Amino acid sequence: MVQWYKFVLYYLWIAPHALLPVVSVLMLMRRLHKSFPVFFLYTLYETLGFLLRFAAYGFASGRLYRYAFIVTLAGSTALRFGIIQEIFNHVFHGYSRLETLATASMRWLTGLLLVAAILSVVYSSGSISDNLMAGVALLSRSVAIIQAGLLLFLFLVSRIFGLPWHSCAFGIAFGFGVFASTELAVSALHLTDLTEHSKDLLDLLPTGSYHVSVLVWLGYLLAAEKPLGAATHSVSEMDQWSGELERTPQ
Amino acid sequence: MSSTIVFVLIAFVLLVLFAYLATRRTRDLPDLDRTVTAIRSLDMEAFRNLVDPEEEEFLRASLPAQAFRRIKRERARTALIYVKELSSASLQFARFGGAAQRSPDPAVAAWGKQIANSAIYLRLRALDASAQLILSATFPGLRPRPLRSLLEHYDRATGLVLNHNALRRTHSQAS
Repeated sequence: MVQWYKFVLYYLWIAPHALLPVVSVLMLMRRLHKSFPVFFLYTLYETLGFLLRFAAYGFASGRLYRYAFIVTLAGSTALRFGIIQEIFNHVFHGYSRLETLATASMRWLTGLLLVAAILSVVYSSGSISDNLMAGVALLSRSVAIIQAGLLLFLFLVSRIFGLPWHSCAFGIAFGFGVFASTELAVSALHLTDLTEHSKDLLDLLPTGSYHVSVLVWLGYLLAAEKPLGAATHSVSEMDQWSGELERTPQ
Repeated sequence: MSSTIVFVLIAFVLLVLFAYLATRRTRDLPDLDRTVTAIRSLDMEAFRNLVDPEEEEFLRASLPAQAFRRIKRERARTALIYVKELSSASLQFARFGGAAQRSPDPAVAAWGKQIANSAIYLRLRALDASAQLILSATFPGLRPRPLRSLLEHYDRATGLVLNHNALRRTHSQAS
């Protein structure tokens, strides 16, 4: 293995997982673990999962590492669905009628995305090799289709109705959006006949995008919510606006 | 290979969309001037007449069928322009409400919540009204539901802003 590749691979594998405990600590310090308990659990789970996989990679057989990878991936996938639900609850909290409409739309969309994912599996199953990792890539692609679709739905609905996002919720959703999109491309490419060199390079993409996601979460956590400056500015604008409106004939 | 290209393209489009939405978020601040200009340009009385079911019944009874269909189409298209402006104003209301919700003053934050809620329902009604008006323009013979609730929501949303202004004035006079 070329030296630079080895360095980049290890960096992209270790760095985001070294930053995740910082995300957890920041959440604790800002008491955000109470508002986003599933995401907080996810950061802890990912850190522990990484330690387990790293130990299996360094001290155990390749087979044991693969099993550790698959088991931790399953838990991580389930938690990510929980996080999407958590963000959904945050975005629509307090807008009861819109929440009812969005819940129904989201159920339909999940059903449609599930059908699309199953169809894509059925369509691809004849052309892929019959091994465990190919099965995992196929499953990852299906999960990525559903998660990216749900996140896009959340972003679009909130934009259509001008719903205010807590900046932390936005950061979490944006980070997962980046990760799910990359995962979709990478898992699709993994199902094709690639050379070993191409596969090695492709392995850098999901870890790289995960690194970007963790940096996004960290950035949104560090950047303070703008309650005072932005709100005061907007409220003074509102005073001016309501004055203008008052002069407007109804 | 072709399905792989499709998935990679979808992934790329999604990435671009997520990045676009993230960058737009910082720029999506309430646009005071545009909203005031839009609201001032709206002749609400004319709009009320355009969507008045009694007026429509009168036209249906007094005009020949072909002329009625032509006029109904024109009225629906004109009303659609009004609804688009109302819808756009509701988005600005929602953004103002959202910004006010982050205020350290609990009274302003509560008022912001009310404004945002009212604006969101106004937007919902505006989207519903747009669909109905498009249907009316396409099939003038149909009798669509009256758009009374859209007008009620508009009055409520603007009323909330005006109440705030009156309250603010009372506060400043008292102090």
